[in-house]
Amino acid sequence: MRLLYYPGCTLYSKAQNLDRCGRKTAERLGVTLDELPSWNCCGAIFNTGSDDLAGQVGPVRVLAKASQLGDKLVTLCAACYNVLKRARARLDAPGNKLERQRIVEFLDEKMERDVKVVHYLEVLKQDIGWEAIRSRVVMPLHNLKVASYYGCLMVRPREVLDFDDPDNPMVMDELVATLGGEPVRFEFKTECCGGYLVVNRREVAEGCSMRVVDNARNWGAELIVTTCPLCQYNLEIAQKRGRAEAQIVPVLYFTQLLGLALGLPQKDLGFEDNKLDPVGFLKEKGLL
Amino acid sequence: MNRTPEEMVREIEILSGQRIADCYQCGCCSAGCPIGTAMEPPPSKAIRLLQLGRVEELLESEGIWLCASCLVCGTRCPRGVDYARIAEACRLLVLRTKRSVVDPDVVVPADLEDVPQQAFIASFRKFSV
Amino acid sequence: MKRVGVFICHCGINIAGVVKVPELKERVKNIDGVVSCVDYVYCCSDPGQKLIRDTIKAEKLEGVVVACCSPSLHEATFRKACEEAGLNRYLCEIANIREQCSWVTADRDAATSKAEGIIATIVEKVRHNQPLERVRVPMVKRCLVVGAGIAGIQAALDVANAGYEVVLVEKEPSIGGHMAQLSETFPTLDCSQCILTPRTVEAGRHPKIKLLTYSEVVDISGFVGNFRVKIRQKPRYVDIEKCTGCGICLEKCPVRVDAVFDRNLTRRRAIYRLFPQAVPNKVVIDADSCRQLQGKKCGVCAKVCPADAIRYDDQERFIDEEVGAIVLATGYELFDLSRLGYYGGGAVPDVIDGLAFERILSASGPFGGEVRRPSDGKVPKRVVFVQCAGSRDSTQGVPYCSKICCMYTAKHALLYKHRVHDGEAIVCYIDVRTPGKGFEEFYRRATDEGVKYLRGKVSKIFRQGDKVIVWAADTLAGKKIEIEADLVVLATAVVPNPAGVALARKLKVALDSNGFQTEAHPKLKPVETLTAGFFLAGCGQGPKDIPETVAQASAAAAKVLSMFGTTELFHEPVVAEVDEEVCVGCGNCQRTCAYEAVKVDPQRGKAVVQTAMCEGCGACAVSCPSGAINLKNWTKEALGRMVDVWR
Repeated sequence: MRLLYYPGCTLYSKAQNLDRCGRKTAERLGVTLDELPSWNCCGAIFNTGSDDLAGQVGPVRVLAKASQLGDKLVTLCAACYNVLKRARARLDAPGNKLERQRIVEFLDEKMERDVKVVHYLEVLKQDIGWEAIRSRVVMPLHNLKVASYYGCLMVRPREVLDFDDPDNPMVMDELVATLGGEPVRFEFKTECCGGYLVVNRREVAEGCSMRVVDNARNWGAELIVTTCPLCQYNLEIAQKRGRAEAQIVPVLYFTQLLGLALGLPQKDLGFEDNKLDPVGFLKEKGLL
Repeated sequence: MNRTPEEMVREIEILSGQRIADCYQCGCCSAGCPIGTAMEPPPSKAIRLLQLGRVEELLESEGIWLCASCLVCGTRCPRGVDYARIAEACRLLVLRTKRSVVDPDVVVPADLEDVPQQAFIASFRKFSV
Repeated sequence: MKRVGVFICHCGINIAGVVKVPELKERVKNIDGVVSCVDYVYCCSDPGQKLIRDTIKAEKLEGVVVACCSPSLHEATFRKACEEAGLNRYLCEIANIREQCSWVTADRDAATSKAEGIIATIVEKVRHNQPLERVRVPMVKRCLVVGAGIAGIQAALDVANAGYEVVLVEKEPSIGGHMAQLSETFPTLDCSQCILTPRTVEAGRHPKIKLLTYSEVVDISGFVGNFRVKIRQKPRYVDIEKCTGCGICLEKCPVRVDAVFDRNLTRRRAIYRLFPQAVPNKVVIDADSCRQLQGKKCGVCAKVCPADAIRYDDQERFIDEEVGAIVLATGYELFDLSRLGYYGGGAVPDVIDGLAFERILSASGPFGGEVRRPSDGKVPKRVVFVQCAGSRDSTQGVPYCSKICCMYTAKHALLYKHRVHDGEAIVCYIDVRTPGKGFEEFYRRATDEGVKYLRGKVSKIFRQGDKVIVWAADTLAGKKIEIEADLVVLATAVVPNPAGVALARKLKVALDSNGFQTEAHPKLKPVETLTAGFFLAGCGQGPKDIPETVAQASAAAAKVLSMFGTTELFHEPVVAEVDEEVCVGCGNCQRTCAYEAVKVDPQRGKAVVQTAMCEGCGACAVSCPSGAINLKNWTKEALGRMVDVWR
């Protein structure tokens, strides 16, 4: 199976481990992620001003480029998933005909067909299937207690993203169970980590992230998995700055955990890019 | 800004696609906002200010620059009012007077080196001219 | 040829301001059959009606056309006037020259011409009309009441006390409804069971009330005054003649299942009594959980029963009843907690709904009346009461206000404070609605006795350790507030009982978009429906408290009694009739009729119209390929002529 893939700017630089593990685990599972040629940044956050057409150009161009090659586009980054899906919905909204016209005229690239934006988690569940993944696990996770943190961008706005159950999504938890881990039920699965506020109001973002981590820890989580580079960064850096080592809960991308379970070599898993080094913890748990 | 408060509220409504009068001040948005007490005014209070025409007061407040666009407010609102869009409309009114709140030239201290660029792009898109 | 008189009403300036009445009069006089044409300012007034009666006599009229407003307003008025003057009422017709003429144009000439055309067609119709007599419908003076909560019980008692037989059907094994689950009622804090049981006992032994518990209405056919009801009585597996209600079987049964009556806070046996004061005070076996009935060996209850009342071979019975009127009292349920994911989704043991808290407060509940929390039985020291859980919420719940929650929340908080003196009660609200007698004073009492009210709708409720965290807000002080509670009680939305919704759909009784039964007019007809013979009582029609429910139930009973107080019912005679010489029995009419009023008699092979059920819509006449069915006074011949004379 070959799927069109959109990495997004952060996966090219600060989140290469998320990207690398994503591609390599896909290969192991029989899926080739073909990178969209000459893609551009999606914009990282969706602009909602009703006259803000310039902000729509970036994501719509991505969709137009993708539409020339296929009808499905896979993302690994929750932010890209959010922006692309919302841009698509805004373009197609019945009251936005004039706006659609202006953007389409402005772009050189033609929108050949409707492109469905999917997240890699959806590919894992629907296109590959848990059974197929389970059969390829070489390092089961020994009932490691894992809290799956989805963050806000994966599930909201509900009607546009239509991703899982927005109050209690389970797809990542199901992946954890498939890999032999024990998914931990906690109450902050979709609460915001603070997002981009880390740039100008760091302490506010740290407060949000610490609440997520504390709740996961309260419920017995030994590890947290994320699907967004910003969530990953925020959860790690808040702990690095504000917590004693004994209380730290390591945070990994879900693709790193998947790669670990599928037996990717350690050099591919990209642990050196994690702010909180998980190697010691994973060795202790017998997973490395 | 030499416009009347009514004109500004009307512009905020158009930019945000929300009707300020729809809000019945239940406070659920403020109750669920992850930013919590750091945001002053909190969402329901901000909308109240707009309902009362106290637009300048809201545009000069800090609260509208603390929204992370997590969308819990709009999701929980029993009247379907999306405060995140209203906050963004208020920010646009300020930004369009050529006033950046997060200045790209100033913002990068050493400990932000590892911040994923999506955070910078998003922050500048929301808070800079 | 009939002598037809036309009466043109000015309707003030509604008609005369547009239609040129003097000119119209002259043109109408030229219409075939018109022997008299009179105009008047307001025909519907007393002098107007007198004018009609006098003209009928003076001109010896054999047909009357009143050119005025819509027949839905005054057709009955003018027909009565004609009848009083000795003219058959069905020889009087209305020509609508207001809603269909003067109210739709400002062009005076066009209006006058159209008015002439309308009047000409109606005159032609009257010339073809036959005098008709209203159909007399014999009435069975028995009443069916569906649902035996306080609404059904009240309606049944009122009708029975007037001397008529009532069939009272209840799907639970005991009557009493949700009121039996309550601890105390607002604003008096009367013990609910204490005020309910006199009624349930009276209903249980009333000579005129036939009580069918553990039963459901399966189907209703027929028409007002003559309904045929099919009732399915589920097998109790207990002979209620022999059962003494001694309760020995309850102690010996080995099975334990969740007790729905206690909102799943306690366990009951497979053989059980719904609650201690059940009427009838007999036990019932729940076949789904009984080992013996599921094919595994047991039989303990049969062995220990001193009255030999257990009957494992019991079967369901179907009972047919004939009634003349039906009162729907199907009641309410509470909004499903699983739909409130942000409040825990029903998975947090210490986040419960209002009825569950009632059971906790109740002396016959899980903790014998002590306030303890479900997870560990500890006494909660801080309880948060969350109002509007699902109500007033068009995005995630129901759009309407559930009416009773502000009052019962104040009651809950007050009763909690009475029992846990050092406890803290916090109510999170958007508004406090206290419209009834003594209600505002009751709410004041709650705040005076220390209940804290926090204005802000709760956004999130979740577990943390052994506490429940509530994310609330104080909009009056403008801040978000996080509360650590031991127990949370949600005032969930009142929704119509799903069984009632399903039954209404089957019977084609109108429901609104929220599933509540629709009354015939929101202001003036709160207990009637648009289906003749069906009346409404209680929360099936909309959320309401006990005093309103009782009032509505008595009102429904009054409607039934005013029906039964007459000797017979009348039905409009503009019904279909079959020309049997032409009819070939093809059955098209039967397939077309929405009221099941025309059926082909299999023996004779001819269609037969049940005149009492026919609503005179005419669909059968259209569908008949042989032209064998016609509507009385709306014959195809008459319609053809009416089209011909249109100008």
